Amino acid sequence: MEPSAVPLHTVGTSPQRLDAREKVTGRATFISDLRVPGMVYTKLWRSPLPHARLRAIDTTTAARAPGVLAVLTAADLADCDRYFGPAYKDQPILAIDRVRYAGEPVVAVVAYSEREAEAAVALLEVDLDELPAVTTLDEALAPEAPLLHETLRPAGHFRDLANMRPIAGTNICHHFHHARGAIEQGFAEAEVIFEDVFTFPMVHHYSMEPHVAIAQVGNDQITVWASTQHPFPVRKELAEMFDLPLARVQVIVPYLGGAYGNKSYTKIEPLVVALARKVGRPVRLALTVEESFKTVRRAAARVRLKTGVQRDGTIVARQCTAHYQIGAYADVGPRVAQKAGYTAGGPYRIPHLHIDTYAVYSNTVNSVAFRGYGVPQLAWAYESQMDIMAERLGLDPLDMRLKNLLRRGEMFAPGDLPIDADLPGDLRRAADAIGWGQPLPRGRGRGLACVIKAPLAPSVSSALVRMHADGSVTLLAGTVEMGQGARTVLSQIVAEELALPLMWVRISQPESGTSPYDQATSSSRSTTLVGLALQAAARDLQQQLLELAAEQLQTHLTHLTLRDGGVEGPGGRLSYADIIADHFGLPGGELIGRGGYRGERGAPLGGVAPFWEVSLAAAEVEVDEGTGQVQLHRYISIADVGKAIHPQQCEAQEEGGVMMGIGHTFFEEMIYQDGQLLNPGLFDYRIPTMTDLPGDLRSILVENADGPGPHGSKGIGESGLMPTAPAIANAIARAIGVRLTALPLTPERVWQAMRAAQADQTA
Amino acid sequence: MTDDRAHHGTVTGQVLSIRVTVNGHVHDVLIEPYLTLIELIRDRLGLTGTKKSCDMQVCGACTVLLNGRPVSACTMLAFEARNAALLTIEGMAQGETLHPIQEAFIEHGGLQCGFCTPGMILAAKALLEETPAPTEEEVKHYMRGNLCRCTGYKRIIESIMVAARRLAQTHNPGALEA
Amino acid sequence: MLQPFVLEEPTSIHEAVALRARYGATAGLYAGGTELLLTMKEGLLRYERLVNIKLIPELAGLALEDGALHIGAITTHRRLERSPVVRTYFSTMAEMAAHVANVRVREVGTLGGNLCFAEPHADPGTLLLVYDASVALAQQGGTRMLALEQFFVGPFEVALADDEILTAIRVPALPAHTAAAYLKYGLLERPSVGVAVAVTARPDQVQEVRIAVGCVGPTPRRLRDVESLLSQKDLPEVRATLDAAGALAGSAADAVTDLHGSAEYKSYLVGVLLRRAFERAYQQAIGGDTGDAARGSGTA
Repeated sequence: MEPSAVPLHTVGTSPQRLDAREKVTGRATFISDLRVPGMVYTKLWRSPLPHARLRAIDTTTAARAPGVLAVLTAADLADCDRYFGPAYKDQPILAIDRVRYAGEPVVAVVAYSEREAEAAVALLEVDLDELPAVTTLDEALAPEAPLLHETLRPAGHFRDLANMRPIAGTNICHHFHHARGAIEQGFAEAEVIFEDVFTFPMVHHYSMEPHVAIAQVGNDQITVWASTQHPFPVRKELAEMFDLPLARVQVIVPYLGGAYGNKSYTKIEPLVVALARKVGRPVRLALTVEESFKTVRRAAARVRLKTGVQRDGTIVARQCTAHYQIGAYADVGPRVAQKAGYTAGGPYRIPHLHIDTYAVYSNTVNSVAFRGYGVPQLAWAYESQMDIMAERLGLDPLDMRLKNLLRRGEMFAPGDLPIDADLPGDLRRAADAIGWGQPLPRGRGRGLACVIKAPLAPSVSSALVRMHADGSVTLLAGTVEMGQGARTVLSQIVAEELALPLMWVRISQPESGTSPYDQATSSSRSTTLVGLALQAAARDLQQQLLELAAEQLQTHLTHLTLRDGGVEGPGGRLSYADIIADHFGLPGGELIGRGGYRGERGAPLGGVAPFWEVSLAAAEVEVDEGTGQVQLHRYISIADVGKAIHPQQCEAQEEGGVMMGIGHTFFEEMIYQDGQLLNPGLFDYRIPTMTDLPGDLRSILVENADGPGPHGSKGIGESGLMPTAPAIANAIARAIGVRLTALPLTPERVWQAMRAAQADQTA
Repeated sequence: MTDDRAHHGTVTGQVLSIRVTVNGHVHDVLIEPYLTLIELIRDRLGLTGTKKSCDMQVCGACTVLLNGRPVSACTMLAFEARNAALLTIEGMAQGETLHPIQEAFIEHGGLQCGFCTPGMILAAKALLEETPAPTEEEVKHYMRGNLCRCTGYKRIIESIMVAARRLAQTHNPGALEA
Repeated sequence: MLQPFVLEEPTSIHEAVALRARYGATAGLYAGGTELLLTMKEGLLRYERLVNIKLIPELAGLALEDGALHIGAITTHRRLERSPVVRTYFSTMAEMAAHVANVRVREVGTLGGNLCFAEPHADPGTLLLVYDASVALAQQGGTRMLALEQFFVGPFEVALADDEILTAIRVPALPAHTAAAYLKYGLLERPSVGVAVAVTARPDQVQEVRIAVGCVGPTPRRLRDVESLLSQKDLPEVRATLDAAGALAGSAADAVTDLHGSAEYKSYLVGVLLRRAFERAYQQAIGGDTGDAARGSGTA
């Protein structure tokens, strides 16, 4: 990407977020703030058992309760396809014959108020025949384990999920295998071999806004206000389930109160649509936080790494076997296992690689997309092991990483994008910033970590830019604003292209009926790839303006430039308004620019990565050896962003990601016992508070203009949290000589590890 | 989001008549004793800026100021606001003129998705009225019960510290006195 | 969501106990409601009526009289946190109150409500035990005083009859040369381990140590066996005994394994916090800046 010849007027600055005023005044509309005339409310009866056969459902008393409009089960909604899911269509909108996790919705009560619906739910009588449940990886993988799904029906929506490989007769719904070189040869060549196992627990997104949807069905048309990051995939799923053309399914997404992946693809929308269709009224479902805990989580993982190295620290071979424990229904579990597994070598040069990852069903809450998408679990393993190896070889962890990090231009995997960042340079930035090598008092230590992630590929986005008669523009793009600042950043990109002040650019909220197709707001892709689509649309518009101006100014368009809301050249200057008025012959009409992005198809996962998301971290901790409490004093986060369109928001996203990483590093864990989730709420599931902020938290943006996006940008947003846990665990190891391989690192776990280490020493 | 005006008192027969001043406006309302403050604010008065998240007093998204004191609207009974002055986020600005806390949040990136923001701003207002020049530690302690999942808190604390300095300069602790 | 109930609003203790006598366990006492309403919203508790006791003036007092703090049942944690009298003469209590839950709960939650709800993972009860606090319980026949130690019966269970209400908490000032300390450890939202001590000491001489532990077991409790290990000894001897005292305290605490941690870890932490709390209280006791007054009076 060439640098811009004209100085940038908005890109690279940090203007006020376009949604800031609305949000600080409470005027920003979220779905739970909406009222649709005639709207009624639904509450759900959820299975108390993790695995059971549905024998009988008695709805008579509930149906007679005050305010109740209808009490519905799957049997009442059989005039549509009741199954959904992005990888397999294995999830019913309400349980059919069988429940597969504690919390699975079975009955929906629709009433005139939430209170009445809730009161009626308590009057339902459901007969369940308990079945043996599998709630841990070992249970789910045991030879005689009960199977959650006897047959699987691929959804066929996405290219990269076209070839899923379930293992028949097991709970493994996808096995991803990737290999390079010859692993046995690699291990034979290695001077030292390390074998370690790491575990990552189930954790929950906790977006401040739980899932919510309002559906209205009528006139052969569906309208859903959906808290989703994927309006277009949701549209497709609904169109298929309810047998309507895409054009007659409208998905509208106002602001989301946080998502981080928990609102990806289809969640509660099909159910709400089915209910609205049945009762003939708009229906609203707003999950409570407890219900959201019983709807989404991250995949837990057990990662076994066998790595062969030379004594000088050169990594020769790695065999990775990772089991991702997903929930009762696949959601994107297979893709998580696949995409993450693909990067099991980390950002390192490893000639012999042998990777097997598995997505394993269990009778627990669905594991869905979550910031990092399987990579944090893997990075927890490979970056922890890196320090284990360095320690045993007597090498500095910084040096060992520098030796093995891939350089710019080096191959990551055959057929895929080569490395597009200066990884050693980034790592040195992190090390310098934390003062690597400088002395520390006793009980303190520093740790490093580097992680790489591949974005969703291939992917597709279209965009439109409409220039109105006065020269102002409306952007139509399907990107969902969920806090990341997308609306502002995308507006900046177009304002820059069209030499307009930011106030003259307005981006409308995603509505599938009017916004052009965008595959997803996920995977750190929107600034870069939707940005490209919008940039192309703006350039298309630019071209139209230049052609018209050239005609109107009687000159050649190569002599013309866009500046300050107009076109100028040797022949004079015309404002955009002038150009449009002249063209249409009235102060009306509009010009429309269109653009798109279409990702390159390729190996090995179906698409070539448009960019690599890399993230690096350095942490400094102090351990209270009396209690095992760890204090995080300093944390440096490096994001290789190419070009920061809005630097403040880039840093802010990184800081937020780091804090989320701190959560799963120190205290977040969903705890299951006998198939029950014991802590579906904030009293017993601790998320970080203001007091957990490290004394010094810094996000450093590296801008080498080496990305494919507008102005050389690349994607970030998941980066903040990927290296957090291993960087901190490495710091703890260097502080007190104790290595932990299971998260979270609660004070009790640290204390247990210290005691075990002492026992080993005295033994 | 309930529309149960028709169901006033039909279950227990008890209806309370209360007067509450919200953002400077007087309201006379008939409510059930078991109505929560957040239901009164959002559903009856249509002030949807106050958000419901955890619904158990831990997260602070529903923070409103009752006679200047921060309370969790989700777990407070609505009748407790009788004869009191309630401040919600809608009462922070004066017309289109934002309160210095709101301005500081905008300038310093103290918000992302915005769902925690109304509660965060109101809690900050109460803090600064009580402690006009807090240290960072004092801010963290007071605001510990206001959770945010997006920002990582650093910029929220910065916004509050900046707002404190600005308010000290103007000696104008509140737009609308609650 | 809260399901319907009838609200009663007595304006005198007399009226309130009459309601309790009449409705018994079907009427819940409602002060701040921070624990009560939560439990009702979750559907774990259901009351036909709630008796709002916040309109009873006699329950609202906070005063230092005859060497003891009289805290009306409906006094909020925040009021205790900020009261000049409490901060001056019972500073450890003020500091403990300042760290209860979050500021919104402190603004609304009351000490009386907290003690009656008897959530095991709570702070106030533990500290009040080393002050030898007592509670005033009123019923139609009159009022009785009960030592706080006897008030806690089990998790969520107190010695409050269905026809009684708790009207006040009496907290005697600590004796001269005595300082208290309260240390807690928390992994989750509620505290996980709490240890309170009150140390009466002169330089190098420890006269009396009172110890209470809370959050880990079914109720907060005084550990008198451990106290006698550390009382009436010179300082070096006390310090040499702290490890053993800590271990004894850990096992005497009756810790349970739950989401906050294992019984083993909690017992261990009791010992660690005991040592640290002792040192803090000892330093304050001999420093003269006990923060707690022996005598004084005034309305908070």
